[in-house]
Amino acid sequence: MTRLRSWWRPELGLALVVLGLGVFVIAGTLDVSAAASRLGPGPRFFPVLVGGAMVVIGLFYVFDVLRGGHGDPEESEDVDAAAPADLRGVLLVSGIFLAFAALLDLLGWIIGASLLFFGLSVALGAEHKARAAVVSVVIGVVTYVLFVKGLGVRLPDGPLAGVM
Amino acid sequence: MASLELLLDGFAAALTPVNLMYALIGVTLGTLVGVLPGIGPAMTVALLLPVTFTVPPTAAFIMFAGIYYGGMYGGSTTSILLNTPGESSSMITALEGNKMARRGRAAQALATAAIGSFVAGTIATALLVVAAPAVVAFAISFGPEDYFALAVLAFTAVSSVLSRSVVRGLASLGLGLVIGLIGIDQQTGQARLTLGVPQLLDGVDVVIVAVGLFALGEALYVASRLRHSPPSVVPVGRAWMGRADWRRSWGPWLRGTALGFPFGALPGGGAEIPTFLSYAAERRLARGVAREEYGKGAIEGVAGPEAANNASAAGTLVPLLTLGLPTSATAAIMLAAFQQYGLQPGPQLFDHNPALVWAMIASLFIGNAMLLVLNLPLAPLWARVLRVPRPYLYAGIVLFAALGVYALNGTVVDLFVLYLLGLLGYAMRRFGLPVAPAVIGMILGPMAEIQLRRALAIGAGDVSVLVRSPVAAVLLALSALALLTPLARRLAARRRAASYAGPAED
Repeated sequence: MTRLRSWWRPELGLALVVLGLGVFVIAGTLDVSAAASRLGPGPRFFPVLVGGAMVVIGLFYVFDVLRGGHGDPEESEDVDAAAPADLRGVLLVSGIFLAFAALLDLLGWIIGASLLFFGLSVALGAEHKARAAVVSVVIGVVTYVLFVKGLGVRLPDGPLAGVM
Repeated sequence: MASLELLLDGFAAALTPVNLMYALIGVTLGTLVGVLPGIGPAMTVALLLPVTFTVPPTAAFIMFAGIYYGGMYGGSTTSILLNTPGESSSMITALEGNKMARRGRAAQALATAAIGSFVAGTIATALLVVAAPAVVAFAISFGPEDYFALAVLAFTAVSSVLSRSVVRGLASLGLGLVIGLIGIDQQTGQARLTLGVPQLLDGVDVVIVAVGLFALGEALYVASRLRHSPPSVVPVGRAWMGRADWRRSWGPWLRGTALGFPFGALPGGGAEIPTFLSYAAERRLARGVAREEYGKGAIEGVAGPEAANNASAAGTLVPLLTLGLPTSATAAIMLAAFQQYGLQPGPQLFDHNPALVWAMIASLFIGNAMLLVLNLPLAPLWARVLRVPRPYLYAGIVLFAALGVYALNGTVVDLFVLYLLGLLGYAMRRFGLPVAPAVIGMILGPMAEIQLRRALAIGAGDVSVLVRSPVAAVLLALSALALLTPLARRLAARRRAASYAGPAED
């Protein structure tokens, strides 16, 4: 199995996305047309230019990756660039965020944001779960009060609508 | 000296108690968020952009100028006190700065960074006052083909300079251009690439793109490779420095300013190159004690690059304000902020809104002075911010990203778009695609399209109209050069490697 897929590298996925987006831009604007009376290039002109360039860049990128080229992972204060990528962490954070986005209107900001903060801090390695829970609730309530009551931002109330 | 008069008017507007308060809020928030690890100046500005929407334009830009300079100051504190490399523009500062801090000279390193930033920021802002009207006078006659050529130069320069691999820089640029295409075509009202989602008709908001690529992308990236050893923060008291440090610092400050300002103003120049050049220059000029200390924590290696860093931040404002041309990711987000208020930076901005522009420039001087006062005595406080437990820090970053994005339109659709962009930001970090070209492409792309179509409409289908003006021809030639230089250099390197292969290699 590994032998069969020895040419595969994760970066190839990104290169194919670039290539695919180029095709998508050209194909996706096929239905866009403007009145013929307009002067100069129409609304499809620039997308075709960008899409064409993306296809060319995407091809070069794919070849570069297949020939063994690779970018340098970005360095950052809290990142161990030498460590292998831990996809579990990414999936966990993704799942928590998507669940938050899907349930936000139902749960309201205070409950939703508290759960988001708690889930993420535990997923990222917070050791004291009880302390994380307290911090989460405080942050959920404080941001709601500060932004909704203080700055007039609209956030969903959820089941706590009557309480606040 | 009309601009001096206008600047004085600007000071009058910026020095009202209310606007002073906004400047103070801006520099404080900017420093606070800029100090946080994992957050660079571009992300600071993007995260705080929604905050400015609640106030009138002049106050918003005064606050924004404060956030911009504050974010730059905050970044240097992080790189000096934390033992890990941060974003590229302050990495050079970390080389000598962190070594100084670990030798017990953290207070002096922070002081020379803060005072140097103040000196460089003030001189560079004064240069901005002189240069801006001159550029405006030159650019007032620019036609659409010149603006298109400028955008192309910004695209190619930023793609080829910021990445070791031109293909990856261009791929990032292309991703940004595609995002910029989504929504209704401004000239004909046709919907493009919206996939039938009504919320996409207005395009993807720049706040979502910036917050997704920077904040959520960074959080996902950190989740994949969290450093498990706790960060070691060097303890520090009030920042100060003695007479010897002053004597060793003022030269590097001035040289750093001279390097930083012009590079900041150039497309693709940014802060990385001048900080590195300043570091190398100070190393060559080092004599005596400095020469012995270089590599072990020499104050010259902090003073020079920090001055260059801040001077380039002011330099970036020259093309941004006078031409509407962003030369860095941070500048691109500031351009978007102008557009949110229906303002288009460029020669006309100085004509139509002189009060706003000059109040903002005046507030740069004021914010700089505030930052000096804020940073010298408060260094221990900023050092405490660095100790925030990482799980809470990144959970908080994601929470504020979600809050800012949801608050834009009050719809969860934006949250899913934010997630997709965060995933893209993660992939770009992991595979070494620079993020800045994407942000610049997304924001400058629509302008480039309008100018290109306008120019071609004037030329009635004749493509040569694009190079008819000498300015446009020169700019396009420079763009081609920006793309071809790295290729030529690589070919030359390969040939050299081939001819040296064999006995010379050991």
